[in-house]
Amino acid sequence: MSGLGSKAEQGMKPAPATSEWRRELRGPWTLFEKEVRRFLRVPGQTIVSPVITTVLYLVVFGSALGGNLREIQGVPYLSFIVPGLVMLGVISNSFLNTSSSMFIMKLQETVVDLLISPMRYGEIVAAMVGAASVRALTVGLLTWAVAIVAQGELLLVHVGYAIAFPVLTSVGLAAVGLFVGIWAEKFEHVNLVPTFVITPLTFLGGVFYDVSQLPKVFATLSFFNPILYLVEGMRYALLGTSTVDPRLSLLFLLVFDALALWLCHFVLRRGWKLRS
Amino acid sequence: MNAPSPVVRLEGLSKRYGPLMALDSLTLDIQAGEIFALLGPNGAGKTTLIGCVSGLTLPSSGSARVMGHDVQTDYRQTRRVVGLVPQELNYDPFFTVEETLRFQAGYFGVKLTEERLREILDALDLTRKRKAGTRELSGGMKRRLLIGKALVHDPKVLFLDEPTAGVDVELRRDLWAYVRRLREGGTTIVLTTHYLEEAQELADRVGIISHGKLRLVEEKDALMARLGRKTLRLVLGAPIARLPEALASAGASLLEGGRIVELTQPAGAELGPIVARSLEAGLVLRDLETRRTDLEAIYVELLTQDAGRAS
Repeated sequence: MSGLGSKAEQGMKPAPATSEWRRELRGPWTLFEKEVRRFLRVPGQTIVSPVITTVLYLVVFGSALGGNLREIQGVPYLSFIVPGLVMLGVISNSFLNTSSSMFIMKLQETVVDLLISPMRYGEIVAAMVGAASVRALTVGLLTWAVAIVAQGELLLVHVGYAIAFPVLTSVGLAAVGLFVGIWAEKFEHVNLVPTFVITPLTFLGGVFYDVSQLPKVFATLSFFNPILYLVEGMRYALLGTSTVDPRLSLLFLLVFDALALWLCHFVLRRGWKLRS
Repeated sequence: MNAPSPVVRLEGLSKRYGPLMALDSLTLDIQAGEIFALLGPNGAGKTTLIGCVSGLTLPSSGSARVMGHDVQTDYRQTRRVVGLVPQELNYDPFFTVEETLRFQAGYFGVKLTEERLREILDALDLTRKRKAGTRELSGGMKRRLLIGKALVHDPKVLFLDEPTAGVDVELRRDLWAYVRRLREGGTTIVLTTHYLEEAQELADRVGIISHGKLRLVEEKDALMARLGRKTLRLVLGAPIARLPEALASAGASLLEGGRIVELTQPAGAELGPIVARSLEAGLVLRDLETRRTDLEAIYVELLTQDAGRAS
């Protein structure tokens, strides 16, 4: 270690003073930046692959199989499935980003870097959820763009809802992912929720069909599926049609987000599964 | 005049894991600018103690304060002035050495300037690896990167948990030199180590912990003087049948068929007069050896006593 003497004899110079608010924001901003850079290091896995998967759904269900179907709720079948597919990308990628990142941090023990930092627990939640939302919204936006190109028409009716639903969905699912990442003790745990909860609920949440056309029992059961409200909300935003009042969906989403964010904050503050 | 406030104050600090008492009502003050070495066998509670101060472990009872602030209620103030080099190597393979240091500084609300970055890289001999991915670093380099991460926010107290575990001799000595210079720069250092040579080399004060209790806290030099021993071994030119009275009364023994005279005295005793008395008694000296007990011997003796009391 050359050059140690003179440096250390002078003592390490203190970092330059920064204004208080900048210092306050620098912690969460750095974590947000690190998380975004992390998924951008492997864009094929985190962005391109999910978009290709969703586009394949669009091709197979929308064009190939849907060719025989006429219209649902007054829109072509190909258009009908676009909102659900956008939400599928948003839901799975927001969950995967936080759950895998937190779990890998625990595995590599780099979570120690966060636990010894002076960041507030809410700031850690906000930074990680924010970065996951960026990834999820990028995938959702690209899916929507591909669908527009495939359809040859702009699928957008209510701009406000079209922003609110994917943004709020990504926030809620990213928070759930963060919670699962904190809870998980092995990779199997991380995969448990997407495999046994998110994917089945998404497929049964009206992505590919109109739930109101199901037999009454199944239609009623579908309304207990929370994903239905997200898909139908987005369908209202992009196509102007929905089996659920979008205001109700939005309210449900806000409550869900608040609970999920509170849960993450609570477990971080308590040190559950992170501090001994 | 009042004594200066300690940088770290632990009062009745306990940590229980089920039936295991990892820390048992531990009370300790760490003074500003000192190097404090915490010694103890595996599972004694060293890492738990560091965890309680740095935020990785939640104490069951008692309090830990850093610069007057409670580490739990005022965690934002205390964590800003504490640096931790954890025992386990941790690194994120997605990022380079530079990114790792910049992120770590950011978490503490510090913007790492180019000057400061170069200073740390240079001090830890990582300049050539600045753009290298952390995965590409050797074990020793990763260890140095951990130290760099702990220093980016210029902590007032640096906790080093087994900092030279698995590090080669040359690097270990470099790290020791670096630790001393950090102390000269005003940083208070608390280190745990299995290498007693390390504590002997670096520490101003030593604490010995066993079964979660602090068994002893003392200035290293005072401890060595109090419990240390010097052994004088005289190799005789011709064997003798019995010890001269002057040596026998001093407590010497005759060994190896009368060829060796051995005498153990407290560390502060002067051995010159003993040698002079041996010559006056007509002994022919072929060789002379002296041996001092090191910290390791003292440590082993204390722990043995401790185990004896416990059983």
